[in-house]
This record gives sequence, structure tokens and C-alpha cells, in this order.
Amino acid sequence: MAPPRDRKDPPPGLARERTRLAWSRTVIAFAAVGGALLKTSIAAGAIVVAMAVLLWVLFGIFPAAADGGARPTRLRLVAITVAGVSLVALAVAFLAHGA
Amino acid sequence: MAAATDGRQDSPDAGGADEAEPDARFTFANERTFLALTRTALAFVVAGLAIVQLLPPFPGVPWGRRLLGVPLIVLGGVIAVVGYLQWSRNQQALRRGTAMPPSILPRVLSVTITAMAIVAAVVLLVSALLEH
Repeated sequence: MAPPRDRKDPPPGLARERTRLAWSRTVIAFAAVGGALLKTSIAAGAIVVAMAVLLWVLFGIFPAAADGGARPTRLRLVAITVAGVSLVALAVAFLAHGA
Repeated sequence: MAAATDGRQDSPDAGGADEAEPDARFTFANERTFLALTRTALAFVVAGLAIVQLLPPFPGVPWGRRLLGVPLIVLGGVIAVVGYLQWSRNQQALRRGTAMPPSILPRVLSVTITAMAIVAAVVLLVSALLEH
């Protein structure tokens, strides 16, 4: 059996697909947080779920440029969104009544 | 666009004269690391929310749920911001062809998770002692 060919420079196609899947998992995590928030605050939960859908439409379908160039704006937006979600969650934790 | 000797390519997006756009696979890997940290941050937030909102109150320790949940939510926000800063530093190092900067997040995560586990155990023990 011939040994596998040594590929020093594999094409980035699989890396792009893995990145797209990572975006999908991240959007699902966003939606899960939104679902958890819906339990106590319908408005906050609806906003987070809407943000998850928006992230999927904006970034999940087109994860990166064709040349694989970095996209700092979109990642900055995601980081700011998660920080905002944590602030909303803090407000819910202090203001809403639990079980 | 000229190809550099180490696989990096000159790019109009690159900041300085010594910077060049790195191999696309490295950029994708850096982005996936950021996304993994983002999911970790979201998991901390939702875990904190679940503790505060879904757990029944600890008998004798009315502040126990917030003591456990709020730090997790705060840590989620911190991870999101630090994760972005780390992505930015890593991308800059890739463009310059220098060594990747060390990350504080693994240490922060392990210390915080250990501390939260200890606090959770203490809250449970105190609650059990006060209940009887």
C-alpha cells in the first residue's frame, strides 16, 4: 500500500467548512441563552434570540472572505454582543425573581 | 500582492510595512479559537442564569444562588472581551510572523472553575448544616 502523500500545503477549503460549522455552533449557543432568558424575561430573551438569527444571517452563511482574510469588525461585534448579553443576564439575575 | 517567503502575503489590510496577510488556514484557526471562547462565555452566562433562576433556594442560605450565579455571568462577559483581544493579538502576530503571545485565559478559567466548585461545596455544606 502506498503511503499517504505528504501534503505540505493543503487547500483551506476544509478549514473554511470547519469555521462555518463553528459559527453554526456559536449561533446555536446564542439561541440557547435566548431560550434561557425567555424563561424569566420575554423581552430580553426575544432580543437575544433575534440577535442569534441576525448573526446567523450575517455571518453564519458567509463565515469569511473567499481569500480567508480576517474580519475584525464581525468578531468585535460578536464580542460586544456577548458582553451585552452577560449584562442583560446580570440584570435579570438581580431584578427577576427565581424559582 | 506579493508572496512572502514564509507563506504570508502582502495585503492592503495589513497595518505596517513588516506585516503581511497570513495563510488563510491560520486565520480560520484563529477565528475558530475565538468562536470556541465565545461559546465558553455563553455557556458561563447560561449556567449562571440557570443557577439564579431555575435552582430552588438553598435552605438557610438565601444569597447562595446569586453567590454562585453572578460570578459565572461576569466571567462570561470577561471571556468574551478578553477572547477578542486575544484574537486580535494572535492575528497581529500571524501578520508579523512573530511568536504567538501567551494567553491568560486557560489560567483564568481553571482558577475560576476551581474556586466556584469550592464555593459551591461550601454553600451546600452550610445549607445542609443550617437545615438540620
